[in-house]
Amino acid sequence: MNLFPDVFAIILFFISVFGLLTSRNIIKSIIFILLMQTAVIMFWIFLSSRFGQIPPIINDPALLYDMTYIADPFPQALMLTAIIIGISVTAICITMLNTLFRRHKTVEWKALAQCAREEAVQRNNDI
Amino acid sequence: MLTFFVIIPVVIAVFLFVFSGARSARIIAMAFQTALTGFAFYLFMLSRTETVYTQIGGYDGFLGIILRADNLAAVFILLSTVIVMVVTLYCINSDNTRTFWFLLFLLEASLIGLFLSRDFFNIFVLVEVSTVVVTILLMYNRLRRNMYAGLLFLMVNIVVMQFFLFGIGYIYMLTGTLDMDGVAVAIAGMDQSSVALPYALIMTAAASKCSLLPLLTWQPKVNSMPGSPTSITAIVSGLHIKSGIYIFIRFQNVFGDFAARDFFLIIGIITGLVGVILALSQKNIRLILAYSTIAQIGLIMVGLNMDYTYYYAYYGSLFHVVNHALLKSALFMGAGVIIKLYGTMDIDKIRGLWHTHKPAAIATALAIMGIMGAPFFNGSVSKYFMMREVSGLLEWAIILLNLGTILIFLKYATIFFGKPEEGTIRKIHTDWCKMTAIMFFGVASFILGIFGEQFKNFVFNLEVHIEALSYLEKVGIFALSLALGMALTKYIPKDAKLFTRIRDMDLGFREICASLGIFFAVVLVFVGFIR
Repeated sequence: MNLFPDVFAIILFFISVFGLLTSRNIIKSIIFILLMQTAVIMFWIFLSSRFGQIPPIINDPALLYDMTYIADPFPQALMLTAIIIGISVTAICITMLNTLFRRHKTVEWKALAQCAREEAVQRNNDI
Repeated sequence: MLTFFVIIPVVIAVFLFVFSGARSARIIAMAFQTALTGFAFYLFMLSRTETVYTQIGGYDGFLGIILRADNLAAVFILLSTVIVMVVTLYCINSDNTRTFWFLLFLLEASLIGLFLSRDFFNIFVLVEVSTVVVTILLMYNRLRRNMYAGLLFLMVNIVVMQFFLFGIGYIYMLTGTLDMDGVAVAIAGMDQSSVALPYALIMTAAASKCSLLPLLTWQPKVNSMPGSPTSITAIVSGLHIKSGIYIFIRFQNVFGDFAARDFFLIIGIITGLVGVILALSQKNIRLILAYSTIAQIGLIMVGLNMDYTYYYAYYGSLFHVVNHALLKSALFMGAGVIIKLYGTMDIDKIRGLWHTHKPAAIATALAIMGIMGAPFFNGSVSKYFMMREVSGLLEWAIILLNLGTILIFLKYATIFFGKPEEGTIRKIHTDWCKMTAIMFFGVASFILGIFGEQFKNFVFNLEVHIEALSYLEKVGIFALSLALGMALTKYIPKDAKLFTRIRDMDLGFREICASLGIFFAVVLVFVGFIR
């Protein structure tokens, strides 16, 4: 049963990869990317602590002899950074999507690709 | 001490953002950048004998973040500072906004930080930073028109980095450390089946950063290039892709014997060949140059992934990385001048460059000869070292890739001849800054070719020598390839149906994610089950 949380994170990760393959809507793709980030962060957090472990604040020196009782703070610190990076790039993506929506009135991948191609044809005539 | 390399470009960036109106501010920044280049050279001289390192925070051992500059890192840092210095010189008189300068130096800071870090998570953060900076730089000029391509590029790269972060999580679970040297020691003692999954995850990310096939994550970036200014394409194609190669080399070294070198060798050959075909089918001169970068990267991959016993090939590939950065920057900056001069990017419309603008023509000619591998140019030295010890099928593959490069640049060289149409030439004034910048790379490649052996020994701390007889043999192969290339160009029709279909091909987000998934699955199966 100790393996269960890791397997859960892996399954969630690959579900979101599959979801990215099949979403026609850009907002759905962004949500799947967020889900992918959540799965990875969950994987790291499950590495750091299990049920029954204590936080790494030691008052009693006798506890230091058996490290398995103490949760690991390192992945949690890294994941704070990863969460922040994830939020900021998602915010940039949504801003760009907003601009594209105002211009083309659609949020579908195929339709936007078509609009970009038509603009590229116009663009070839001027530098 | 090494932290200064990362901090100084950030300080320059902020300085230029605040004072970007005054021309004197740019001159001061240029002076600082030159000083940074000198400092990078000093670091390079130090790193030839021993690794320079800085412990941030004063912890010892594997705790804390360590910045390490060994020979390879110092070479890449020197290369990036030189290229940014020359590009700054090129742009110093144009009116670019404050955002451009700010992002340019931020990109330099993040790349130098990437070259110095030996910690997996540090690499993750810095790659994300450089991805965001490159996205905004690529969308820079025609912001609204390029936004679709920018969105695609950003989202694909975020997905790639999530693969990477997942792989790092596995590595942490298996080894308990994220420092590269610690992980290398720990992995050497493990059995293969547990390392297969993190290897597949991490190498998917590294390979897509190098734009190996079938991960054409760079393809939308390439398609958005017609909007961005030429100096940015010079930096991205010359420098940013090299950071992908750098992390690829580091990761292969961490995984040691588990690294699937033969797999990436074959991928490199396929990438090179497909890059050649893609480059031949384009009409836009910047797209031709960008796709030929992919072909050269395929060639570099071949050299990097040969067996360890092929000592010459590995260092030949590294030398080719340096050469390619210089040559591609020269070509892109020359192309910038050409585009301003002729007002078009279509290769069929640009003719008669030799008579119209001598400096750009000379620089472009030198760069073309360098990249084709003409004797006395640096391309031939690095290709000589790559081919020196191989034999059999691999040698033919490399000769084929070189032939492909010759074909691409023979096509590109058609801009020199002929007569320009009436009224297409605009009168432009290229000041001495642009001239110096363009000629610098062209002349540098010529000098590096003549002193190639000494330069390479100096840079990589080696004792290799060019044997006259085998060098002449390679020159003979080059001459034959050139003749064959010139004969073939007569037979390749300009508007073949294959080429038109390739030009219209447009990969969407779902297709790129599918190719990522397939590549990951193939690497996993290969490393996990076949070996």
